[in-house]
Amino acid sequence: MSTFSYMWRLIRYRPGWYVFNALVWTAIYLMPIVPGLITKEFFDSLTGHAATGLGTWALVALLVGFALARSATVYLGFITDVNFRFRMGMLLRRNVLEHILKRPGARAIPGSPGEAISHFRDDVDQSEEAVSWSVDVFGMTCFAVVSCFILLRIDAEMTTLVFLPLVIVIVAAQLATTRLQKYRAASRESTAKVTEAISEMFGSVQAIQVAGAERRVTERFRKLNDDRRKSMLKDKLMTEALDSVFSNTVNLGTGLILLLAGHKMRGGEFTVGDFSLFVYYLTFVTQFISNFGKFLTYFKQMAVAKERLTDLLQGAPAQVLTEANTLGEKGREPGAARLRANASDRTEQASAVAGHRMNKGPAVIGMAAEERLEQLDVSGLTYRYPETGRGVEDIRLHLRRGSFTVVTGPVGSGKTTLVRTLLGLLPQDSGTVLWNGREVDDAGNFFVPPRSAYSAQVPRLYSDTLRENILLGLEDRGGQLERALHTAVLEEDLRHFRDGLDTVIGPRGVKLSGGQAQRTAAARMLVRDAELYVFDDLSSALDVETEQKLWERLFADRGDATCLVVSHRKAALARADHILVLKDGRIEAEGTAEQLLERNESFRRLWSGDESGS
Amino acid sequence: MGKTAKTKSIGHYYEMLSRYLLPQRSALIGLTALLFGSIGLQLINPQIIRYFIDTAQSDRSLEPLYYAALLFIGFSLIQQVVSVIATYVSENLAWRTTNRLRGDLAEHGLKLDMSFHKSNTTGSIIERVDGDVNALANFFSSFIIHLGGNLLLMAGIVVLLFRENVLIGAGMLLFVIGAVFVIQWIRKYALPVWTKWRQVNAEFYGFIGEHLEGTEDTRANGATGFVMNRFYGLLRRMLPIRTKAFLGFASMWVTTIIVFALGNAMAFAISAYLWKQGSITIGTVYLIFYYTELLAKPIEKIRTQIEDLQKADASLVRIRELLGMRPKIQDGPGAELPSGPLAVEFDDVTFGYDDEPTLDGIRLRLVPGEVLGLLGRTGSGKTTLARLLLRFYDPREGSVRLGGVDIRECKLGELRTKVALVTQNIEIIQGSVRDNLTFYDESVPDERMIGVLRELGLGDWYDSLPQGLDTPLASGGGSLSAGEGQLLAFARVFLTDPGLVILDEASSRLDPLTEHRLERAVDKLLKDRSCIMIAHRLATVERADKIVILERGRIVENGPRKALAADPDSRFSRMLAAGLEEVLA
Repeated sequence: MSTFSYMWRLIRYRPGWYVFNALVWTAIYLMPIVPGLITKEFFDSLTGHAATGLGTWALVALLVGFALARSATVYLGFITDVNFRFRMGMLLRRNVLEHILKRPGARAIPGSPGEAISHFRDDVDQSEEAVSWSVDVFGMTCFAVVSCFILLRIDAEMTTLVFLPLVIVIVAAQLATTRLQKYRAASRESTAKVTEAISEMFGSVQAIQVAGAERRVTERFRKLNDDRRKSMLKDKLMTEALDSVFSNTVNLGTGLILLLAGHKMRGGEFTVGDFSLFVYYLTFVTQFISNFGKFLTYFKQMAVAKERLTDLLQGAPAQVLTEANTLGEKGREPGAARLRANASDRTEQASAVAGHRMNKGPAVIGMAAEERLEQLDVSGLTYRYPETGRGVEDIRLHLRRGSFTVVTGPVGSGKTTLVRTLLGLLPQDSGTVLWNGREVDDAGNFFVPPRSAYSAQVPRLYSDTLRENILLGLEDRGGQLERALHTAVLEEDLRHFRDGLDTVIGPRGVKLSGGQAQRTAAARMLVRDAELYVFDDLSSALDVETEQKLWERLFADRGDATCLVVSHRKAALARADHILVLKDGRIEAEGTAEQLLERNESFRRLWSGDESGS
Repeated sequence: MGKTAKTKSIGHYYEMLSRYLLPQRSALIGLTALLFGSIGLQLINPQIIRYFIDTAQSDRSLEPLYYAALLFIGFSLIQQVVSVIATYVSENLAWRTTNRLRGDLAEHGLKLDMSFHKSNTTGSIIERVDGDVNALANFFSSFIIHLGGNLLLMAGIVVLLFRENVLIGAGMLLFVIGAVFVIQWIRKYALPVWTKWRQVNAEFYGFIGEHLEGTEDTRANGATGFVMNRFYGLLRRMLPIRTKAFLGFASMWVTTIIVFALGNAMAFAISAYLWKQGSITIGTVYLIFYYTELLAKPIEKIRTQIEDLQKADASLVRIRELLGMRPKIQDGPGAELPSGPLAVEFDDVTFGYDDEPTLDGIRLRLVPGEVLGLLGRTGSGKTTLARLLLRFYDPREGSVRLGGVDIRECKLGELRTKVALVTQNIEIIQGSVRDNLTFYDESVPDERMIGVLRELGLGDWYDSLPQGLDTPLASGGGSLSAGEGQLLAFARVFLTDPGLVILDEASSRLDPLTEHRLERAVDKLLKDRSCIMIAHRLATVERADKIVILERGRIVENGPRKALAADPDSRFSRMLAAGLEEVLA
């Protein structure tokens, strides 16, 4: 997609607001025509060339009155501008966010979150700026046309000689701005590095403090900052040099008028009033030219921003960025007041549009009856991390309804990679997954509730109440939440929180211990009615007692749900219907615990190494 | 009250400027010279035009008019070059100064204790260290050029107008003072909304950051719709605030439009009066008009400068707040800890994150070289105890001593090289394997790192790295398995030489096989060192000499491991039995 069509699609997102905004801003830009004429009339009235015969006081009153009118228009202009650009910017952010949430979850963004945040912030702002300025360019062009017409009627020769160099400058500057893109890209790059460094420093703050490495880490940060300074300076110098060329044109123009006006003024065919009008409009033409230049710069910067936002999509077409989706409001009619009015009912609607309602909406029930998991067959499943070439290879797996399967193996053998690849959280390189014999094409979209639910090895919790962290928007029907809390052995902890389920956790609230976080994630998974539960190392941060309770309750409560579990705990292994032993990304052995104890050396070592009871 | 607030805020600016800007003296002086040149050129040009108009209106020779026009063009060209150089210099100055501030802020932030880091998302810290400082950078870079330079230009114009005529000079002086006053006054209304906008913005990016990190959980639990709804909810809150912030800007602009219309009107009225009296020429009328228009530029620039100030104001408040935040934990006077294994003593230590004590009257002794197994349920206070040893927090009552020295007497750096902590959370930073092992400490030789990796059973892993120690690791671990990450964390400890090692559930992510491989390494690690092993699994504490069991922040059992295991009434032996039951079940 070209930068132009990117901009065009953004404009078309809310054409009404855009047109309205353009009209208001055109009025704002056209209005200075009048004070120029008033000034001319003032000088002409002094020298006796006046056309209207208005006195000094009348002109003064007109001048002030006009300023008031323009002020009112400016207010309106800001309202239309903010409404349009907010929607447009947030559409970009919305589309990128939604796309990221659709990507294989374990590889959703290409770099670090800090880097991605800087794209969310700056690249979108840049795009917003460019589109918003296009309105100004239109308004300023109108001003140029009208003022040109007035000046031509006064003195055609002089107008041509003054405006011609300006046109040349625009062309020259246009050519020069192509160089700008390179510098801009470099400076944005170094900015992203700085943001990333901050994000990381503060993300790993405890490790840094423990290592006493505060100073060394800051030194590196200072170096990154200095790199940014250098690239920023290059960028700025180019921009500024161009800017000054633009604005110098006016002085050049005034100089040209002076050169030409001498004998005409002597002859009386060019009055001081005419001179003042020429210079007055010229000043606005300066603004026009430098703003036009600014727009071109923004436009170029938008090209960079577009590229970077597209990179964030990891291969999806740039059209995804500008897809005209709603921002949670009903219908298309904009208006901040209405936006707020029916907030709740819009939320409903948006969720219906935006994603899978994970609960048993009528459509889902129909699906569930037909797609009840009878068996899941996996063959040839392969994924290799592009950086290291390691991963899992040729995984074969068969899950019956109601079975309990454990994946085990030493560190780095690919257990987590296996479940992630199966669930589409990593993009598989090859392999087939059959759900009741039917092939699953898009695992990422397929393996969601009500088909499956998952709890990750290192679960992420959000700054919100405990309830929301578990439900994640799900409706609590028929005590599901309570059951999930019980199974996840959270009821005891809840009693200690002052606000119970409404306790806010995360950075602004209560910090959960590792075990509490893990059990919260378990509850998050269990509260979802799913055919298949996948959990990765559920008990790694739990104490013996709690872990024992968890397994017991899980077995008692799971009903006929199918479970796929990554664990090396005896409690899990002993209960398993089937165990896969992974080594170096391949299945080394499989069977029940008994069989494996007989046959497989690694398994024996895993088993006897586990101390929970020996 | 308003007045004290104002002087205080000016004080803040002064403090910031003197701390960060004044050290760059030579750049400042150069910049000032450039400014004076540029201002002089701007003031001369209208005089040329007046000469031009008056000469054109008279009967004198036309030839000097061409020279005047050429002079005009020449001066404007020089002025442009000067202003480009000035911008470059001031930009450079701004980046240098704010980079120092960024560095200082980061360094300061890293020293703050956990209670700060727990209450701030990384996204919101990025907003502060970068976003807020950026707002301040505009202020720094344009402070001299725009505020200083334009004030000077304004003063020059007023002086030159006084030279023409006292009436017009006095009128313009009043106008300038009035204009600046009105613009300042309007500013007061725009500032609070702007602060609010920055706040909601920080919250927004905090939200985005959290969800970019949690994509796996969101995706696989079908919560995409939920996240999008939260996103929309935030948008609904943001739009009205942004509209208000923009209207604040609009008010500033509108004010200048009206103020300048009034200024022009006054110039018209006074000069028409003087012209009709015959005391000034038409060229001077134009000169007055031109200077009035020229005043628009500095006042306009001062206005945008004030806009930057608004942003800077809000940002400055937050930056100062951050800088003013003293870590509760302060460096001690610098008592040395003995080398070799450290004795550990807790004397009636009580501590709590809030009113409720997390640790209550802890009394504990460990002779040098001893290994303590610390057991207890989640939330019983085990991790807190470890944090006290590293002085992430200080006890509310009682004291913690290492090798007989109260750790509050030590420098933090000293303490943290002598006490090593391996936790269940492995923090992998974006950088090479080397960076991750040493945290950019270049004094550690490669051979030692490789040796340690092999010792820990990461030899094969190391050999598989395409660029050896320079292989980049993705932030958050990426291609590392959790267990490998944990081994890497172990390696970090091996590379320092602590007298006390705290293993906080250190092996929780390791499978027994890997754990087994680690045993030898751990044996070596614990040789000639004291150790506290925090565990909720029993085998972890098999090598412990002593066992302490915590419950709700109190020690409920304390004794030699063997003795406790042998005593059938001890909690420890009951725990052992429970573990056994689990296998039988």
